[in-house]
Amino acid sequence: MARVIQRLKSWEGMLLILLIGVIAFNAWQSPVYLSAQNFVNLFQLSIEKIIVALVMTFVIINGEIDLSVASMMGLAACMLAFLYKAGQPMVLAIVVALFIGLIGGAFNGFWVARAGLPSLAVTLATLIMFRGLARVLLEDRSIGDFPQWFDDLGQQTVIGPFTLSFLIFAVGLVVAIVVLHYTGFGRYVRVIGNSKDVARYSGVQVPRVKMILYSASGLVAALGGVLLAARLGAVRGSTAEGFELDIITIVLLGGVSIFGGTGSMFGVLLSILLILNLRNGMGLLNISGNAQTGVIGALLILSVLVPNIASRLRQSFRTRQAAQAPPPPAVGKAVSAE
Amino acid sequence: MRGISKRFDTTQALEDVSLSLYPGEIHALLGENGAGKSTLIKIMTGVHPPDRGEIRLDEKPISLLNPIQAQTHGIAAIYQEPMVFPDLTVAENIFLTHRTRSPFVNWGRLYRDAEDILKQLDVKLDVRQPARGLTLAAQQTVEIAKAISLQVRVLIMDEPTASLSAHEVRQLFKLANTLRKQGVAILFISHRMEEVFEIADRVTVFRDGKWISTKPRVEVTPDGAIRDMVGREIHDLFAKTETARGETLLSVKNLGKERTFQGITFDVHRGEVVGLAGLVGARRTDVGLALFGVEPADVGEVVFAGKPVRITAPQQAMKIGIAYASEDRRALGLVMPMSVTENISLPMLREYLYGLGLINFGAEKKTAMQFRERLAIRTQTVDVPVAKLSGGNQQKVMLSKWLNVKPQLLILDEPTRGIDVGAKAEVHAMINELAEQGLGIILISSDMPEVMGMSDRIVVMREGRQMGIFTRAEATQETILAAAMGQG
Repeated sequence: MARVIQRLKSWEGMLLILLIGVIAFNAWQSPVYLSAQNFVNLFQLSIEKIIVALVMTFVIINGEIDLSVASMMGLAACMLAFLYKAGQPMVLAIVVALFIGLIGGAFNGFWVARAGLPSLAVTLATLIMFRGLARVLLEDRSIGDFPQWFDDLGQQTVIGPFTLSFLIFAVGLVVAIVVLHYTGFGRYVRVIGNSKDVARYSGVQVPRVKMILYSASGLVAALGGVLLAARLGAVRGSTAEGFELDIITIVLLGGVSIFGGTGSMFGVLLSILLILNLRNGMGLLNISGNAQTGVIGALLILSVLVPNIASRLRQSFRTRQAAQAPPPPAVGKAVSAE
Repeated sequence: MRGISKRFDTTQALEDVSLSLYPGEIHALLGENGAGKSTLIKIMTGVHPPDRGEIRLDEKPISLLNPIQAQTHGIAAIYQEPMVFPDLTVAENIFLTHRTRSPFVNWGRLYRDAEDILKQLDVKLDVRQPARGLTLAAQQTVEIAKAISLQVRVLIMDEPTASLSAHEVRQLFKLANTLRKQGVAILFISHRMEEVFEIADRVTVFRDGKWISTKPRVEVTPDGAIRDMVGREIHDLFAKTETARGETLLSVKNLGKERTFQGITFDVHRGEVVGLAGLVGARRTDVGLALFGVEPADVGEVVFAGKPVRITAPQQAMKIGIAYASEDRRALGLVMPMSVTENISLPMLREYLYGLGLINFGAEKKTAMQFRERLAIRTQTVDVPVAKLSGGNQQKVMLSKWLNVKPQLLILDEPTRGIDVGAKAEVHAMINELAEQGLGIILISSDMPEVMGMSDRIVVMREGRQMGIFTRAEATQETILAAAMGQG
C-alpha cells in the first residue's frame, strides 16, 4: 500500500489521477464517450503528432531538442504530393519522402553530434530550411486527389476499429518502451542526457547515439508527414506548421526533464492520453480551440511549477516543525572552548 | 557558537557543538567527511538555520536567517572552487554584492577602491581584467578581497588549498596572516595536516557531528589529531606492500601533445605502482587522458603488453586493458542521478546485453552486489542513485566501475581527494591488493605523503615536462618538491 501511495505521489501518479478525473467527467457528460469508436476518434485527430512525440521523448531525454520535426512532416508531405503531381508512382513518392526524412534527420545529427553545435540553434535553422523547401516545392498550391488506396490508408480501419496510423502508434509505443527502458541503447540515451562527459569517459560513443536519434527523428517525422497527407487527402506548403510545439508539450507534460536525463515512456503515454481526453472533454463543453490550447499551456506551466513548489513547501514545513520542537535538556558534553 | 544542533531527516549532522573564534586568530577545524564541518559553515553563513543553539558575535546573540544577514554581520566564506563571475572584471567581482544608491556605476571609484583593497592585501592584479583566465589562486584572492570590502570579521576558508600549487598556498597563507594581523577571525578547514600545523593558532576536531577537542596548536600532534578525528589509531596510513615486479606492461617513449606536454618517457611493470607527482599545472592528468585515449597524444610511442599501440579512443583503451578513473568524480566519473548498478556496468554494458540489445538486469545487479561486498561500499541497496552516497563510497563505486573493465593497467587520478581518512585507507589497501594481483597502476596524486608511500617509482612532472624518475629509496619530500618546482 505504501508503495502504491509512493507511486501516486510521483509525476506519473498525478497525471494518472488527473486523467481518471477527466475521463470520468467526460463519460458523465456523454454516454457514448467510453465506446471503442470514440477512443479511436480521439487518437485519430492528433495521431501523427503523438507518433513523432515518441521519438522526441528520446531526443529530449538525451539532453537535446529537435525543433525541425513539424517542418520535416510538412516537407515529406509536400515532396510526396510534388512527385505524385509530377506523374511518379505513389509508392515511389512515399519512399522518397521517407528517405528525405532520414537524410534531413542525419543532417541535423551531423551538426549536433559531429560538429558539436547546440541543437536548439541547428534545428531552429532546419525548421526554417525544411519549411522553406516545402513551400518552394508546392508554392501556394494545394495538392490533393491522391489515389483512393492512399486516402484509405489514412482513414480506413485495418483491424477492428483501428486505423493504420493507430496501429503504427501502438507498435511504436511498445518499441519505444522496450528500447528506452530495457536496452543498452536506451541506457546510453539516459546516461548521455545526464552527463555527456561521463559517457565519453566511459567509452560510450556519444556522437553515434545522437546521430541515430536525429536520423530516427527525421525518419519518423517524415512518416508522420506521409500519414498526415493520407488522412487529410490534401497537402499545402503550410501543412503541419507549428506542430513541433504541441509535440514538445506532450513530452514535457509527461514528466521528461527539458535538461535531459530523466523521463519515462509511461509518463509520456499518460500525457498523450490526458491531453487527448482533456481536449475532447473541453470540446464537449463547447470550449473553443484557442481556449483549449490555453488550458494545455497552463497545465504545462503547472508541470514545471508543481514539483518545485512541492519540494519547497516540504522544506519549510520541516524547518517549522523543527523550530517548534521543545529544547532538549542541556547535555554536559557541550564544552565551550574558553 | 554554543550548543548548535542540526538534523537533516534522519541524520544528526551536528549535535550540541560549541566553538569560539577570537579576533586575530586562525582556528583550524578538522574532521573526516561527515563530521559536520560543512553543516557548521552553512549555519555560520546563514544557508541553513540551526535547529537549536545560539550564535554570538561580540557577546551579542545574532540571528543568521539568510546569507545576506551573515554578510551584514561580516561573516564570509571562501571555498575550494572560487565563485567568481568569469565575464566580470576583477573590480566588479569584488564589489558585486555592494548595493550602491545610485543607478549608475562610478567606474573610476570602483577601480580605485578595488586597487586599494588589493594593495592592502599586498597583491598585484589588474582590476580591469575579466576574471576569466585568472588562475584559481588569483580567483580566490578576488574572493578574499570581496570579503574584505564587506568589512569581514569572520572569514571561513573551506579547503582553500585543495586546488592550489605549493607556491600559491604560500601566497594564500601570507594573505591569511595579513588578515590575522588586522584582527579577522579565520576558520580554516583543510584535509592537509601539514598546512593546519603550519598556520593554525588553535585546532578543533569534530567527529560524527560532535565536538571532540579544541587545543592550542603546540599541544597537538598529527597522530593525536588523527586519533581524535577517527577515534582509532591508524597505522601505516600510506604503505605500499612489497610486490614482485613483473614484466614490463606499459612502455611510454617521448609521448607529447602540442601545447600540453612533451618528452614523457617511463615504464610500468606488472605489480608496480608508478606515481605521477607534480604541482598543479604539471599536466599529469593530461598524460593520463592521453593514455586512455580521451585526449590522444600527437607524438611518441606507446608499447602495451608487448605490442605497439596508438590509443585514440577510450573504448579502444578499454579493449586492450587500460582504465582511467577520473579525478573529478562528479563531472567526469559518475552519473550522479543514476543508480550504483547502472554506474558500475556502464563501461562494460555490452557484456550485459542479450541479443537485440536487451539488458540482463539480473547479471548487472549481481556484479554491483559483488563489488559492494568486495569494496565494502556502504549503501543499503545498489539501486540508489550514487548522489545519495558519501564521497568515499562514491569513490568506491567509481573504482568498481573501472575494476569491472578488468584492466591490466589502471590509471588512478587523485583517487583519495576529498574523501575521509577511513575511506582513504581502504582505497590504499585496494591499490595494494590490485598490485599484488599483477596489475600495473599509475597513481596521479597531489597528496605528497600518498604518492611517496604508495609508489614503487615516482615520475615527477613540471609544466608538461618530465623532471625525473625516483625510486622509492631515492624519493624524499625535498627531492620531489625540488624537481616539481624545477630546482632538481
